[in-house]
Amino acid sequence: MKSLMKYIGVIKYILILFLLAFIVSLLSSGEISDADIKDVSKQVVKAYGAKGLSAADNRMVKRLYGINANDYEGVTLYVSDSNMKVEELLIVKLKDVSQSEAVEAAIEGRLDKQLESFEGYGVEQSKLLKDHVLDVKGNYVLYVVDKKAKKADKAFQKSL
Amino acid sequence: MIFSSVFFVYVFLPIVLLAYFLVPRKFKNLVILIASLIFYAWGEPIYVVLMVFSIVYNYITGIEIEYHRSEGQKRRARTVFWIAVAVNLSVLGFFKYYGFLLQNLNRILPVDIPYRALPLPIGISFYTFQTLSYVIDVYKGNVAVQKNLIYFGTYISMFPQLIAGPIVRYADVEQQLANRRESFSKIGNGIAWFLRGVGKKVLLANNIGMAYDAIAALPNQDVSVLTAWIGCAAYTFQIYFDFSGYSDMAIGLGKMFGFDFIKNFDYPYTSSSITEFWRRWHMSLGTWFREYVYIPLGGNRVSKGKNIRNIFVVWMLTGLWHGAAWNFIFWGLYYGVLLFLEKYLLKDVLERLPGFVKHIYTMVFVMLGWVFFFSPSMGSAFRYIGRMFGIGAHGLVDATAVYYLYNYILLFVVLILCSVPYTYRKFTRFMLQKKSYCGIAVALYVVMFVLSTAYLVNATYNPFLYFRF
Repeated sequence: MKSLMKYIGVIKYILILFLLAFIVSLLSSGEISDADIKDVSKQVVKAYGAKGLSAADNRMVKRLYGINANDYEGVTLYVSDSNMKVEELLIVKLKDVSQSEAVEAAIEGRLDKQLESFEGYGVEQSKLLKDHVLDVKGNYVLYVVDKKAKKADKAFQKSL
Repeated sequence: MIFSSVFFVYVFLPIVLLAYFLVPRKFKNLVILIASLIFYAWGEPIYVVLMVFSIVYNYITGIEIEYHRSEGQKRRARTVFWIAVAVNLSVLGFFKYYGFLLQNLNRILPVDIPYRALPLPIGISFYTFQTLSYVIDVYKGNVAVQKNLIYFGTYISMFPQLIAGPIVRYADVEQQLANRRESFSKIGNGIAWFLRGVGKKVLLANNIGMAYDAIAALPNQDVSVLTAWIGCAAYTFQIYFDFSGYSDMAIGLGKMFGFDFIKNFDYPYTSSSITEFWRRWHMSLGTWFREYVYIPLGGNRVSKGKNIRNIFVVWMLTGLWHGAAWNFIFWGLYYGVLLFLEKYLLKDVLERLPGFVKHIYTMVFVMLGWVFFFSPSMGSAFRYIGRMFGIGAHGLVDATAVYYLYNYILLFVVLILCSVPYTYRKFTRFMLQKKSYCGIAVALYVVMFVLSTAYLVNATYNPFLYFRF
């Protein structure tokens, strides 16, 4: 039993070392970004133009996506002034990454509704909606509907 | 993965139950352990590593403490024990409070330490307290050491109560891990508990949560006194039915696998004092702090000064346990002050008051307490409370308030009825009157289940409020 105890002591040290290595790897993984959501939004908007879009408030976020902006570190929403346009930009900075599931579900809900609305007659709008970009990078989520959505995504990734 | 999801109810649970009842008895805990690790890894594939660490480390620690105790090496046992407490609390502290600590250091000191706050591993506060209860009880000799790693792993990771409690003390399930009996009546009872929990969460908490979310999203200048109170009342009911719904589901799932967990809620909103409220709300957390912090500090059997210190230590820790933010610490101390006042100053006054006044007093302070809970910062909490009392509010009553009151009044009535024991007692009595009435009760449960499923199919992801702790 005494010699077994010696091994147990060693295993415990190995376990603690393993835990420390795990924490260090998490910290250096780079998944979590400290970037300010205002800076990220600014760079994304600058990169692709966000033509015809204007900033919306938290009530609009709630109305369109069903999420409460106060639950997140920050939310930026740009929507089109016309109901006949589907261009949109949503950036969410999560408080923790476990929130991403809820945000993705909310975005998919919004997308489904929009697709349903334009199905059959809004060919151009439907195509834009289908070509949307939904990108989850650690604690940031980006959703863009625009011709230049890919450009916006590139800027988004660069800004984090 | 959450209990109130179509995938859990229709795929995961049936598969696990089937596997559990098909395998021989000696493999049943292994089935629960594997299922629990899959359940946890579903949402947190990385953090399952932490869970496995916690299981293996504390399992070894238990054996080590027991060995030193049996050899009469008390000092060595004490050293191993305190190292284990430090390691467990450090892991919890790092993942939960590291970002908060550095953020505040950067604010207070003329420094700018760069940091990267990691996401909180789900359920870490709950399972760390479970492992601590085991280590403390083994050290004190209150329980025998668990030499079976599978059994120990099952205790720590058990999916029914892994993510949001109840915090099951090892002493409470020690016997059940080795010897428990499943039966049809227990399974039936478990299903009833589970369905009540699903109903509470999906039909009540989520629906009233919509009212709270809508009011919380209103611009400050559009919130009247009545709207602020409706929003606060909505959250008050949402958090109760959300959390107690989860606990009921956990208890029900436990029963399906032959376990009996302690109840976590006992109609807290019927309390006549804050002291009574905390005897009825999140009972497993209260018991944990009483057994492992309050009593070891001396509890009531010390001088008045030390007792007051003990009260505040426990309540500050209770607040801190809930989250790494000043509003949670304030919320804990707020209850510390209220409990201190009730114990030393208001006891006689409260006893003389009529029942309904005591009840109103309790509910007003409980509701004010929830404002600190749901607000993103201290400033916003005080501003919200200000609006509840007319400061910065959009008048006393406005069209928005009337709109929410009109739309949710019926739901509020249902919520009140479901918050008191009378309704359930009446239902149980009715069920027992005649054998045929049992069929009606079963039908009611089925209707509740179908309705909940309908909601779940159409709903977006809606996790439990206590997942963030």
